[in-house]
Amino acid sequence: MSENPNKNSESITAQVESESGLPDIGTGDENPMEWNEPANNRKKPEDRESINRPVEKYDARKIVTGEAKYTGDFRRQFPDLAEAAVVRSDIAHGQVTNIDTSAAEEMEGVYAILTPDSDVVPDSVYTSAGQGYPEPTPWDLRVLREKVRMVGDPIAAVAATDSQTADRAARKIDVEYEELDPILDYRVAMDPESPQIHDSDEIENKQPGANYENNRQSSFEGEIGDVTEATDSSEHVLETEWETPYQSHCVPEPHTTIARRDEDNRYHLITSTQVPYHTRRQLSHLFDIPIRDIRVEKPRIGAGFGSKQAMVIEPITLALSIAADRPVIYETTRKEQFYAIRSRHPMQIRMKTAVSDEGALEAMEMDVLSNTGAYGPHGMTVAGNVGTKPLPLYPNVDNVRFAGDIVHTNLPIAAAQRGYGAPQGHFAVESHMDEVARDLGMDPIEFRQQNHVREGDLDEIAAILGDDEKHARRIRSCGLDECIQRGREAVGYDDVDQPDDPNQNRGIGVALVGQGSGVAGAELGAAHIKMNEDGTFILQVGGVDTGTGTDTMVSQIASEVLGCAPGDIVVHSSDTDISPFDYGAYASSTTYITGQSVKKAAENAKERVLTWAAGMLETSPDRLSVGGGDVTDEQSGDHVSLEEIGYESMYGEDEREHIMGEASHSTDESPPPFGAQFVDVTVNDQTGEFDINQLVFAADLGVAINPPLAEGQIEGGQSMSLELATGAGYEFTDTGVPKTISYKQYGMPRSTDHPPMETILVETHEPTGPFGAKSIAELPTNGVPPALSNAIRDAVGIRISTLPITAEKISAALNQLD
Amino acid sequence: MEMELTINGHKRSLKFARGDSLLDLLRRYGYTGAKRGCDTGDCGYCTVIVDGEAVQSCVTPTKTVEGARVETIESLGTQDDLHPVQEAFVDNSALQCGFCIPGMIMNTTAALRENPDPSKVEARKAIEPVLCRCTGHKKPVEAVMDAAERLESSTGLSRGSEENIVEATDIGSKGATDE
Ligand code: FES
Ligand code: FES
Repeated sequence: MSENPNKNSESITAQVESESGLPDIGTGDENPMEWNEPANNRKKPEDRESINRPVEKYDARKIVTGEAKYTGDFRRQFPDLAEAAVVRSDIAHGQVTNIDTSAAEEMEGVYAILTPDSDVVPDSVYTSAGQGYPEPTPWDLRVLREKVRMVGDPIAAVAATDSQTADRAARKIDVEYEELDPILDYRVAMDPESPQIHDSDEIENKQPGANYENNRQSSFEGEIGDVTEATDSSEHVLETEWETPYQSHCVPEPHTTIARRDEDNRYHLITSTQVPYHTRRQLSHLFDIPIRDIRVEKPRIGAGFGSKQAMVIEPITLALSIAADRPVIYETTRKEQFYAIRSRHPMQIRMKTAVSDEGALEAMEMDVLSNTGAYGPHGMTVAGNVGTKPLPLYPNVDNVRFAGDIVHTNLPIAAAQRGYGAPQGHFAVESHMDEVARDLGMDPIEFRQQNHVREGDLDEIAAILGDDEKHARRIRSCGLDECIQRGREAVGYDDVDQPDDPNQNRGIGVALVGQGSGVAGAELGAAHIKMNEDGTFILQVGGVDTGTGTDTMVSQIASEVLGCAPGDIVVHSSDTDISPFDYGAYASSTTYITGQSVKKAAENAKERVLTWAAGMLETSPDRLSVGGGDVTDEQSGDHVSLEEIGYESMYGEDEREHIMGEASHSTDESPPPFGAQFVDVTVNDQTGEFDINQLVFAADLGVAINPPLAEGQIEGGQSMSLELATGAGYEFTDTGVPKTISYKQYGMPRSTDHPPMETILVETHEPTGPFGAKSIAELPTNGVPPALSNAIRDAVGIRISTLPITAEKISAALNQLD
Repeated sequence: MEMELTINGHKRSLKFARGDSLLDLLRRYGYTGAKRGCDTGDCGYCTVIVDGEAVQSCVTPTKTVEGARVETIESLGTQDDLHPVQEAFVDNSALQCGFCIPGMIMNTTAALRENPDPSKVEARKAIEPVLCRCTGHKKPVEAVMDAAERLESSTGLSRGSEENIVEATDIGSKGATDE
């Protein structure tokens, strides 16, 4: 989910201007509509053997039998394993003046106690953001901290014989502080009188616009055309403001890491991560251990949602295992998950547009203020996505300006979370567009249909913060019209029955949504595939299955190429000693990037398969085709099975070869998947109470490799989106102590809280994607807040512009109407 | 301390420490299908069946299960021979990361023994204790409905009888070995 919105770190203001000084909207020569697509990439529905089929999820059987192993389930493999506990700051801002570990040291069963001064604790700064190198994120974290900037900052750590002993020892460590005033409201973080949270001299790899005296982690601005001129000369200018709260990932498996030194004197980590390769590199730099001496293994992981696109607890666990000289496991608690790990950025977003009498958008301006909390992992890149994901829904607007400030507070660390800024951005853009339509007296759908993106458009807004045209996107697939049409029918947009009770008012809201497929120009996926004697294959990928179904998807792509059954592909992912390199599971990249590397690797292997088959059938490879586990000469009808080829290639008389294929994939493309979210709501105009009658989501994800798994992504994504729209967020005391530290207090939606959901898959063909596929994982997290706000506007005529949307806010707004 | 209980149809004598929850005990003895998501009784990932009732094992003090009959996910089918409830979750794609799924399946199993023919509302209710973050609970509700149908039509495992389930556990005790 990472993206560098400002590749050129010297230019904070990256304006797309030609040398003449005139706005250059670009010819798009670098991004032609035509794409040199291999003929085999486009398969008619009836020709698809493995892709676009409901293939059983690769890991389904071990999951339902309880045999799937997550990091915590490896405990019994290490008999001398120690358990870890971490002492965390209980004040929001201050300096640690003393750490007394004496009582803990005396306890039996305590193997190691670490404080910031301990030798094994690295002295350098780093970032936890799991991104490419160098990370577009400041290095502002230390493994253990003497200056504390939030409740939850790790100060000391313990490894002990069991978790009860470790917890008791941690509680016996006494920390004294000198307290400092905290900043608890990000809207005043940049005020001159606000206390300063970070010392600029202590931070490396600073990002553009950093101004730590004013608590600004970074800032950016980009413009196409001239927004001021366009808004000054327009009759219809609308300005709105929106606010979004913290959101917890509620990641099912709390972050867990096992670290140990193995018999080869190397460091071996089993860890719940979305980014094994980035973590290996970052550990190497932080601990000054050669990359070759670190192995990061990802077993099954209990999902990520971005919280594990980060190296959060691996450094503490590794340091403890070195100090204790034995394997150590650190399994975080749910409480730590809520206040000390990672969350979604709260934001304030201002939108301004100019539109013609006829409803053509002439200018869009967006300003975002983002609260990154005490530290800044993913701060700038998330804020960049606030604009670069939703604004391209309207790529033909000539004048666009997008700017952002990312500021620090003494509150929990915000970082990557599914959607990566796009949910906040869509709330602002798609609620704003609804108001624009209503101002003009137009139907909100009709207004969008007049302006929204279509196939063939050149989208420069996605690259508005970049410094070249390379990442402007030619839209080669777009199914928005069909998404709107089918969603509209499913929700009954044109025929809304009002309830008999005159106080109950029904309304329907819509929001368009877009995302990306990987980070344009900053991804690498690689795959390796090798044949077994019996005609099956072993496929190794670095791409990380966070539960989404990556392993299943790659088996389908490989088997489609090789003409075998998906079950004949054994998938290995991911272990940095074995798997080819991959940036990891983020930015909705796995199908598009990892999937394409798998397709290429399988094609390499297929070429060798055909060569062997041609020899065995005494024909030429170009007459051969694969399918059903056989290679067949299309003219003669002669065929040979993959199994016969496997045995012959390995045990043949004259020649022998291990049939293998391997490939890397990287690209400047990141085609957006699109969707239309509909919300049907009934609002009581006396109390403000509301019931969501139905959620409908129609998605254009290109060709769905596995339709039921894609539906699962949409349903789960909407559930997170529903929570952002209506959940309670976090509460703090007036000294910055988190009050929301359990599921009970947070109130994640349960099965009984869910409105009915209808999911519609709209097929388009994306020529740059494997077999026409685009991404899906993040897209559906974007739509419910704006669509619900719009539905309430439709039902009772008031606008809720801050999340969460609550009955109290609706009733307060209704009272103002009266 | 030591106590006796029946796990998945096997009488066992297990050592435990003061402060151990049933989840601590089960996981230590290798019944790692039950997952720890919160330790506060909120997420349902640690659900097992004790004397016929689905309980959150993380908030069940070990002492209270002395002599009880405990069923864990390991007592149901194998990968080659799934239990109908497991089959329903697989065939309905009602799982993603899987961390909540043992809890989902144990809640479903207990609920369907009580009420073999649930309405959709009752199916939603059956998995209410489990906070699935991945699926939005839609496909799991469909899996519960489908599981009810499969149990009804399956002959080997008649739907309500706890005795049958306990017998079936004899195949499903692998992975559970002494410390
Ligand atoms: S771990 Fe028992 S309910 Fe969450
Ligand atoms: S499948 Fe991941 S929490 Fe339910």
